[in-house]
Amino acid sequence: MLTSLKGSWCLILGASSGMGRATALAMAKEGANIFGVHFGTAAQQEEADELVAELRATGVQVSFHNCNAASKQTRAELVPVLKELTGPEGVRVLLHSLAFGSLLPFLPQEGQEDVITPRQMDMTVDVMGHSLVYWVRDLYVAGLLPRGAKVFALTSRGDGRVMPSYGAVSAAKSALASHVRQLAVELAPAGVSVNALRAGLTLTPALLRIPGSEGLARYATDSNPHGRLTVPEDVAEAVVMLSATDSSWMTGNVIDVDGGEGLV
Amino acid sequence: MPEQTTSAAAVLDTEDLRSTIAEILDVDPSEVTDTADFKEDLDVDSLLALEILVTLERKYQVKMEESNLQLMRSFKVVHDLLAEKLAA
Ligand SMILES: NC(=O)c1ccc[n+]([C@@H]2O[C@H](COP(=O)([O-])OP(=O)(O)OC[C@H]3O[C@@H](n4cnc5c(N)ncnc54)[C@H](O)[C@@H]3O)[C@@H](O)[C@H]2O)c1
Repeated sequence: MLTSLKGSWCLILGASSGMGRATALAMAKEGANIFGVHFGTAAQQEEADELVAELRATGVQVSFHNCNAASKQTRAELVPVLKELTGPEGVRVLLHSLAFGSLLPFLPQEGQEDVITPRQMDMTVDVMGHSLVYWVRDLYVAGLLPRGAKVFALTSRGDGRVMPSYGAVSAAKSALASHVRQLAVELAPAGVSVNALRAGLTLTPALLRIPGSEGLARYATDSNPHGRLTVPEDVAEAVVMLSATDSSWMTGNVIDVDGGEGLV
Repeated sequence: MPEQTTSAAAVLDTEDLRSTIAEILDVDPSEVTDTADFKEDLDVDSLLALEILVTLERKYQVKMEESNLQLMRSFKVVHDLLAEKLAA
């Protein structure tokens, strides 16, 4: 059954920029309250403050936190805050949209001696992959994932394709897809769905950090059957649309949100 | 230990800074020597480097740039960066 998002709570990990930011705005427009987590220096905090003001102007409740979403301590601090804010309703939508990782090759290259360290590899896979599992578990255990709740994780074509310097993120995306399947099955009895959204190439700070991203963006602009790149609002629209049902029947999928970019 | 107040926060105590960083890195302060290389010797990744930056911003009420991440290389470099920000 289609249900309104008004008054529900949406938890966004990676809320200050890109896909997370656009989803926060789109959800607030539907009347959903926004709980956002982001991590950055003062400059990013200013952007987040502006976003918070914009969200509040829509009349919804907003709670933003600048801290490392991949740390156990952050979850231990924020889950009780969420419980307090959301009450028995819990979290209707969780969006995992964290972009943070080491963009270093596995092997030394001409003119590029730096290779990824074990620590950087683990960190990348932890932030962009495993942290989904730990957030979902902590929310579930705290009774914050009610029947009909939706979990979304963002993935990319890097889950199956190879790009220079993207090795650790690729590994994280592969782990993420596996976690989505596993969580979908483990959460099915609770009536909670878990899906990955595979966005097309989108001009965000995370993309611009990838060496060679300009070339990738040019190629994707030319080859995308829609004749343009994905914008964060495309992803936000998909999240809103897929959250509008209380059904959990559609679960465990990787859903392309790329205008057909992956088909050609 | 007395509570850190905002006015006291602006004072840069070298050993206090060392303990702060050691706590983030989860190592003994004695390992955070002036010149130990964060990446090579203390296994610091970019997320820990950002943790250091954000913690220092809050503790010392300074503003760091994303580009300062590259400077999270050793205690001495961090100390000098912070001293420079506090003097500005
Ligand atoms: N941009 C693309 O082309 C593209 C394509 C497909 C998938 N994706 C995926 O979409 C997701 C979001 O990427 P984006 O392009 O919107 O990135 P972005 O850089 O615009 O935003 C990333 C967000 O994550 C937050 N963040 C990063 N590390 C964090 C941490 N440790 N704790 C808390 N917050 C943290 C940042 O503060 C920011 O809010 C990522 O999973 C990315 O791989 C991006």
